[in-house]
Amino acid sequence: MATREAGKKMIMLKSPDGMEFEVEEAVAMESQTIRKMIEDDCADTAILIPNINSKILSRVIEYCNKHVPTTGATGAAASDTVAPAALAEDLKIWDAEFIKVNRATRFDLIQAASYLNIKGLLDLTSQTTIDTISDNSLEEIRSFLSTKNDYLPEEEQTIRRENQWAFQ
Amino acid sequence: MSRHRRSPLDDDDLLSEILLRLPPQPSSLPRASLVCKRWRGLASDPGFCRCFRIHHRRNPPLLGLFDSHPIVPFRPTVDPPNRVSPGRFSLQLSDSRHVRSLGCRHGLALYFDCVLPQLLVWDPIHGDQRRIALPPGFDAERALIDGAVLRAAGDAHFQFQVLLVGALDDDDDEDAEGQMVSVFTCVYSSETGVWGNLFSTLITAESYVSLGPAVLVGDSVYSILVTSPGYELDPETQILEFDLKMQSLATIQLPVDMLEYCRLMPVRADGGGLGLFLVSNFTAQLWKRKTDCNGVASWGLGRTVALDELLSLNSESGYLISIIGYAEENNLVFLGTAEGVFMIQLESLQFTKLSGDVMFPRHHPFESVYTTG
Repeated sequence: MATREAGKKMIMLKSPDGMEFEVEEAVAMESQTIRKMIEDDCADTAILIPNINSKILSRVIEYCNKHVPTTGATGAAASDTVAPAALAEDLKIWDAEFIKVNRATRFDLIQAASYLNIKGLLDLTSQTTIDTISDNSLEEIRSFLSTKNDYLPEEEQTIRRENQWAFQ
Repeated sequence: MSRHRRSPLDDDDLLSEILLRLPPQPSSLPRASLVCKRWRGLASDPGFCRCFRIHHRRNPPLLGLFDSHPIVPFRPTVDPPNRVSPGRFSLQLSDSRHVRSLGCRHGLALYFDCVLPQLLVWDPIHGDQRRIALPPGFDAERALIDGAVLRAAGDAHFQFQVLLVGALDDDDDEDAEGQMVSVFTCVYSSETGVWGNLFSTLITAESYVSLGPAVLVGDSVYSILVTSPGYELDPETQILEFDLKMQSLATIQLPVDMLEYCRLMPVRADGGGLGLFLVSNFTAQLWKRKTDCNGVASWGLGRTVALDELLSLNSESGYLISIIGYAEENNLVFLGTAEGVFMIQLESLQFTKLSGDVMFPRHHPFESVYTTG
């Protein structure tokens, strides 16, 4: 979590389960939703983030901390001396580790990224979900996503026939 | 408890966010439609399909090729299940003998009918067509004509720009040493339905002049202005640069130490910017144009590739390699060789043999996100 540094404006984020997180304003503004609140002066001393529990909110803050485009305070990778390509590669590796979570957590992160409007996190979580299922069979996809097959066998056949080329 | 918790997949907005990330290949959405009725509803929704195309607009797959001339059916270059059959993209023309393809970009194809004379913009996926008269003052009978089509930003339905490039011998200077060639460009916007200002520049050329295919790099379109047959390099060969944003026409000299008498194609260099792909005999070179902090541009040599080794070609055959096409988004060059047509990815150098053909019309790769919705 971010530590207070001289000259950095801090704000407080509160989760519905009563936890408070002090974060740099720049980090919180990785979320377009929070950015808008701050810019519209709707954020006084603390911002309540509804629907996102402390466990998920702390992961989201961890993500924003890593991705905030400033130098210095956000860890060794974000340094002036590191080339942009190396920095991007470092972020990619970090993202890959960050997203190694179970399905329920990943789905919670998708919802949080969507509500808080954090494009990078939404990209990462959604893309990982798609990558997980893209090589699977239909049955595996349905089972992984807890989705029921609501087609009658003849309906399924019709769809296959309509786009026969895509099932060759 | 978690079993009863709402999953993001229950929310149509979040489900579409996730499904947008399916690979841009043609079979992705039809296959996803089979999961359940809700998925099918989304995957066939025109609004979702539009978002899917926008999401993947910077990484559209190569679907196949349109030849320059004669107008032949679309030739898919991918295997099933992503093979879009030729019949799905069919341009109906009453008389195609005078029509040649000038190129494809952003899912649109541009044709020139030299008899009418007219340009034709066609969206092969949705079937839209528009014919455009040449701008006033364009001498279609005498000028060499080429061009480029670009879709307007944001995937607006059938809104586009056409850049017309022409080259014309300048009669007044016939007695002068060397021949003066007037090169001109003009941009049409479908939004306004009119041509913009005509830009022109005069250059000296010894003899024959032809225009290479137009390649879009950043905001600029580049064409090689060739002054000898067969895309060969000679000292007068220049690159035309038309900056669509700044609306300016310029010419770029080639570096003097490039291989002599080679064939060349403007390409997108790694990391953006203008690159050149050159072939001389069986050697290929990749060059990159760099601009220093003072704005001075120079050429730097990147990698060199022995094509005979890479493609297992017989270098004793004496058969020259032609560069017959370039797919901008996938960075693929198409080469005509004695063994047939090869497609090479310029970063990975992975290659595919497309056919055993030894006749090489200019190939116009069609890169697009194919959706039926």
